[in-house]
Amino acid sequence: MCTLGFLINPVAGMGGAVGLKGTDGMVEAALSRGAVPRAPGRAKETISLLKGLDIHFLTCSGVMGEDILSEEGISGYEVVYHPETVQTGAPDTMAACRAFLERKADLILFCGGDGTARDIYSVIGDSLPMLGIPAGVKMYSAVFAITPGAAAGILRDGCTPGGKFLFRDAEVMDVDEEAYREGSLRTRLFGIAKSPYRPGLVQGTKQVFEDHDEERAKKDIARFIKEVMEGTPDILYILGPGSTTAAIADEIGIRKTLLGFDAAKGGTLVATDLNEEGLLSLLGGGTRARLVISIIGAQGSVLGRGTQQVSPAVLRIIGRENIIVVATPHKLAETPLVFLDSGDRELDESFGDYISVVSGYRVAQRKRIGKTAGVGEFP
Amino acid sequence: MHTKIPLDEDQMPKSWYNILPDLPSPLDPPLHPGTGKPLVPDDLTPIFPMELILQEMSSKRTIDIPAEVQDVLRLWRPSPLYRAHRLEKHLKTPAHIYYKYEGVSPPGSHKPNTAVPQAYYNMKAGIERIATETGAGQWGSALAFATQIFGLECTIYMVRSSYAQKPYRKSMMQVWGAECIPSPSTRTKAGSAVLQKDPETTGSLGIAISEAVEDAATHGNTNYSLGSVLNHVCLHQTVIGLECREQLASVDEYPDVVIGCVGGGSNFAGISFPFAGEKLKGTHKETEIIAVEPASCPTLTKGLFTYDYGDVAGLTPLLKMFTLGHDFVPPSIHAGGLRYHGDNPTISRLVYDGVMKAVSYHQSEVFDAAQTFARTEGIIVAPETSHAVRAAIDEALKCRKSGEKKTILFNCSGHGNFDMSAYDAFYAKQLVDYEYPEQLIRESLSRLPKIPGA
Ligand SMILES: Cc1ncc(COP(=O)(O)O)c(C=O)c1O
Repeated sequence: MCTLGFLINPVAGMGGAVGLKGTDGMVEAALSRGAVPRAPGRAKETISLLKGLDIHFLTCSGVMGEDILSEEGISGYEVVYHPETVQTGAPDTMAACRAFLERKADLILFCGGDGTARDIYSVIGDSLPMLGIPAGVKMYSAVFAITPGAAAGILRDGCTPGGKFLFRDAEVMDVDEEAYREGSLRTRLFGIAKSPYRPGLVQGTKQVFEDHDEERAKKDIARFIKEVMEGTPDILYILGPGSTTAAIADEIGIRKTLLGFDAAKGGTLVATDLNEEGLLSLLGGGTRARLVISIIGAQGSVLGRGTQQVSPAVLRIIGRENIIVVATPHKLAETPLVFLDSGDRELDESFGDYISVVSGYRVAQRKRIGKTAGVGEFP
Repeated sequence: MHTKIPLDEDQMPKSWYNILPDLPSPLDPPLHPGTGKPLVPDDLTPIFPMELILQEMSSKRTIDIPAEVQDVLRLWRPSPLYRAHRLEKHLKTPAHIYYKYEGVSPPGSHKPNTAVPQAYYNMKAGIERIATETGAGQWGSALAFATQIFGLECTIYMVRSSYAQKPYRKSMMQVWGAECIPSPSTRTKAGSAVLQKDPETTGSLGIAISEAVEDAATHGNTNYSLGSVLNHVCLHQTVIGLECREQLASVDEYPDVVIGCVGGGSNFAGISFPFAGEKLKGTHKETEIIAVEPASCPTLTKGLFTYDYGDVAGLTPLLKMFTLGHDFVPPSIHAGGLRYHGDNPTISRLVYDGVMKAVSYHQSEVFDAAQTFARTEGIIVAPETSHAVRAAIDEALKCRKSGEKKTILFNCSGHGNFDMSAYDAFYAKQLVDYEYPEQLIRESLSRLPKIPGA
């Protein structure tokens, strides 16, 4: 039998859809901007795939875990921590972890983002393995499974009779939130945790490539996309976060926010740092639009990581055929598979088995799309 | 049941087959890059000998192969035709698969079939040196071999990415007495201009052609030679298809499907023109003729059928052909010989008219097929050739599904003994499946030549 410590950071990921880059310390602001909780739904996806396994859950009361377990009809659980306030925070996550340690959990399964991983690690260090269900705005740490389904797959590996966990060192990263909100991407190694994995299913630490070739490659991509934009002056271009899309903005001579979604048309900047609502209102009235988005880091995520602004509703308006994915050859070489995790499975599946990624001047690469939908279908 | 279907030396073709008079209507003429007017033979005399210029535009159905050329060709011709018994068995296909093996020539490909007559006609015209370009090095080594036989000097501009990838091709050229220079180079104005814009360019065939043409045009004793694309090159390669027709007839077969890989089109033209001619004349209307190209440089499947230059600098005549744009620099795939933006005008026209069709494949798909071929038939093919192998295997697999007993013929244009780094990359799972983003490129394209007067 496996004993899993299970906790949800219920507010993780909320900042993303409303254009806040991280929710840590910003819950109030997120709520006032109309954010809705995202983590419980993600956690539920994983838990629903764990039924029938010999798992004993240690968890927290209410929204921090118990609610989801009982909704999914899981009876083998024990509440070992009760948060004192409705609005939970970092102290609750840490207190729960101390309880899990005391009760000798085998592994901590949590749902949150980089901030949550950091809080957990600060209590358990590498004395207990941890596995994240991705739900945060930023997920640069290597403790996260690629998708909620993938997290379930890893747990199945270890918790089925005769099964066995494979562990590896996993960096816990955090982003300098201040700098991040101001437009520069600075990640920091917080510690090295122990994490279960299945080769190909856990996201590697994002890398910020910055060598000479990378700059040249970005410039090549930018030159090409600029010509495409010049050839289609009536199309609104939404440029996603990252340094590849920033290079495109440089090439056309507009100032882009490094981490936000900005829009340009006919060579001029129309709007910056759009949240979901802003995107929806820009896209209203039948405006023809394209989304230019890059592959984020070594994990191969295209949609769904740090890009909650482009919600399924936004993507449906833009249309699958109007999504241009860009990435440098180096990044693609580090990315054997590309993962789509837009939050809308049907939309993800409409891409088929391959995606074409613009990787230079008038050139693209065909990349296989990793499938993580459901247990038993992993690559 | 034979495995090798040989042909006696005295059955080697005595003349080439010229398909031009069998086309339903004449090709659109090549245009002068300066005036936009149709070329006249004298326009080409600064870089080509008259005999080749006349062949380029000939309306004679057959053209004799000079005896001195036949003597050299006999070093390896007629080349063997093989029945791929072991591949058929492996694929469990009812199809009969035949391949014409051009890797038996000294340089290891079909290229000397035209290098030899080209060197010969230049020698006859009193030329002392030939300048040319080479992609993967197959053409350069073939011309080095041929010029050396006829006592000419040879300067070869080799695409930089291949120069680094295939050092032994360069060594071969040296053994045969030629000078091999990585392109772009500072020897020419065209090369210098490209280097100035982009010092780290991988180079391309289009750029190397500009350099060689410039070299020839600016030196009185020097002519230019092209290893593909032009009609006279394709003409010289027709010995391949002519021999195949005899060899197949000797075992009572006629191909239902004819396949070749396409860079500029010469080996494909070589194997297919004699069969395309019969299709045009109506004697064998049903033959399927399939050109195979890389997905990263899909000239026939995604290009435009229009007038374009043959090189990057715009020094060559304008040809009506399928093109991806003369300034397109194809990604550095291992099949360097298939990195060309255009295609032979006759093939282009026949594809446009539906007499031939074209398909494209990704790198990883073709190496997978090449591995299957090596493990059944033994030959490790050139990366270019692996495209034809892939298509032949896929046709054979279609036959397995449908139960049809088709006769499939493909051109095994060269061996890959100097291309093992490409196979290494395949096994290291480092092959990149480059693609041509057609829709985006169309939107961005504003630079096909504005043709003066057309
Ligand atoms: C072995 C081989 N096959 C095919 C080609 C493609 O050229 P073409 O289309 O002129 O036959 C090359 C060119 O270098 C080659 O070396």
